[in-house]
Amino acid sequence: MASTTVEEIVADSSLNRPFREEIDEHRGHPGIRATTFNYAQINDDMVEMLEKPHPSYFLLVLGFLSCLLLGAVSLAIQVDVGIGNSGISHPIAWGFYITDFVFWIGIGHAGTLISAVFYLTRAPWRTAIYRSAEAMTVFAVLTAGLFPLLHTGRPWLAYWLIPYPNERYLWVNFKSPLAWDVFAVTTYMSVSIMFFLLGLVPDMAIMRDEAKRRGKILQAKIYAVFAMSWRGTNHQWVHFMRGYLIFAALATPLVFSVHSIVSWDFAMASIPGWHTTIFAPYFVAGAIFSGLAMVMTVLIPVRVVFRLEDYISYHVVNKVCQVILFTSVIVGYAYATEFFIAWYSGSPYERAVFYFRPFGHMATWSLTGDQPVSFPLLAFYLMVFCNVIAPIPLWRKKVRNNLVAVWIICGLINVGMWFERFNIVGSSLQRDFHPYNWGEYWPTLVEVGITIGSFGFFFTLFSLFVKALPPMAIMELKEAAEPPMRKGHHEH
Amino acid sequence: MNTKFSGVWGTFEYLDDTTEAIEELRQKGAKPTVLSPCPRHEIDHALGEPQSPVPFISLFFGAMGCLIGYSLPAWTASDWVLPVGGKPIVAIAPFTIIGFEMTILHAAIFTLLGLTILIIIDSLKNPIPRAAREYLRFQRDRFGIVVRCEASQYTLYEDLLKKYQAEEVYVEKG
Repeated sequence: MASTTVEEIVADSSLNRPFREEIDEHRGHPGIRATTFNYAQINDDMVEMLEKPHPSYFLLVLGFLSCLLLGAVSLAIQVDVGIGNSGISHPIAWGFYITDFVFWIGIGHAGTLISAVFYLTRAPWRTAIYRSAEAMTVFAVLTAGLFPLLHTGRPWLAYWLIPYPNERYLWVNFKSPLAWDVFAVTTYMSVSIMFFLLGLVPDMAIMRDEAKRRGKILQAKIYAVFAMSWRGTNHQWVHFMRGYLIFAALATPLVFSVHSIVSWDFAMASIPGWHTTIFAPYFVAGAIFSGLAMVMTVLIPVRVVFRLEDYISYHVVNKVCQVILFTSVIVGYAYATEFFIAWYSGSPYERAVFYFRPFGHMATWSLTGDQPVSFPLLAFYLMVFCNVIAPIPLWRKKVRNNLVAVWIICGLINVGMWFERFNIVGSSLQRDFHPYNWGEYWPTLVEVGITIGSFGFFFTLFSLFVKALPPMAIMELKEAAEPPMRKGHHEH
Repeated sequence: MNTKFSGVWGTFEYLDDTTEAIEELRQKGAKPTVLSPCPRHEIDHALGEPQSPVPFISLFFGAMGCLIGYSLPAWTASDWVLPVGGKPIVAIAPFTIIGFEMTILHAAIFTLLGLTILIIIDSLKNPIPRAAREYLRFQRDRFGIVVRCEASQYTLYEDLLKKYQAEEVYVEKG
């Protein structure tokens, strides 16, 4: 037979016939109905998600862009006027910006946890959500990275953080946790981006060929650039899969190391309330907790809007909620341990800080109405309520199966985790060793604007992602699906 | 490269047909290239469990990164000495963090570069015809087998692919 052309293949009517009946719903991985779909159906569903969006999508993006614009204007003012324009002053050297930094780094943890750790542990429920979670990691770490640069006061000199030969014959101090942070965050960001892009390559090839099939030549050309001539040959798959496994193995320790190193920014200092060995596991658990809550906050609306019930099933939501519940218990335990150790240590300074957090004189001020409720005080009670009490209903399966309830609880967790970071940053700096050194902190509008802008930046990027790139890993969905077999069913 | 391709290729609807065809092709001494919409371990079994050298690249460059990660802080600390409270100038414990991060970073960068180069090399060594590259259903729902062979073997492999229910079989005469 002679070779055929693309046009002949496209014109072939057999392309449009369903090649296989749907497989028995009870086969495939448990709880993910999409594993009973055939390969073509998975392609079609994913392509459909990237079709022209509803006008409400543009309204949503416009809303996020407005927040981003507010942040950009605030950022311009901050950089132009200088760090004195913020509420940061002695003794509160770290305010909203470092709170935002720690919060966004934490949000970035869930993606790598889901894509790398759960890949190595072979958790099949991760398949439908890991691509979106991974994208969230990239966007969250990009957002987080802005804050330390901004906090330097002169971000145009941020390259001084990198060790390079210079005319001053000076090097960065590698014994400083701030230098560790530069290496940790840069490595995490680089590995997350590479892992994300690597996983996208086969899916870009799918989108390229689907765009060709549908006659969208420009789209096909754009996807082809990212597909990097991927054809799905066995030679490509063998290197790809082995490389992907190694990336997962490399990213796994990063999940635990990055937030540990971020926690040492605090724990290496001798400030009461910070100088404690529990900080690394406490921060890592908190990061996973907040990251997974953000995954649910974002993916539950995506599931509803794109009608992804067959992919992001109740089983998947249940599993994520179980991990959220588990980390909530760890976080609650860490809160209690902090208070216990402050008491047990016998250190008056530690005891004082942990007394000030819930019962400080700021509480009296707020009750008498002389002052508004202070931020650290508000932070403490919001932290405990949102992170320890609000997730308790998730112990019931009925609640885990109620998407509205899960979405509200996860939203509260996001709020609580932001305030947890503020509680750690703010309260310890406000009440140092010596009363002469005590001070108060109130954020300025610029800091609030930049914080809102960071949410705008993150959600704008995520909104663009869900309509520009396949938000689910098509290749892995197919891998999890029942393969087409002539002689009976495939055994997993 | 494309114009010189000589061989047979076919498309398959079912995975088990594909793997059986691969096994028989290998028994006859052919080295087929298989195209699939996703990685399948059944295909790897049929191909004799091909291995990738990517882990060795990761290991080597990870070790290099580790060496750099420890030696850079040690050298810079010795180059400009900052004595603090009698603490060691070259302090292994804090440098372990830099060593760890550099290990991961180097291993990741060179894993990505390494697998990209290996894929390019293998693609050049095992070319597939233009028509097979442009067959749009390999990224959708079809499996494919490409066999490079001499003109004298066209019929043999064409019949073999048809025997295993290939949907379409094409002969590329170079």
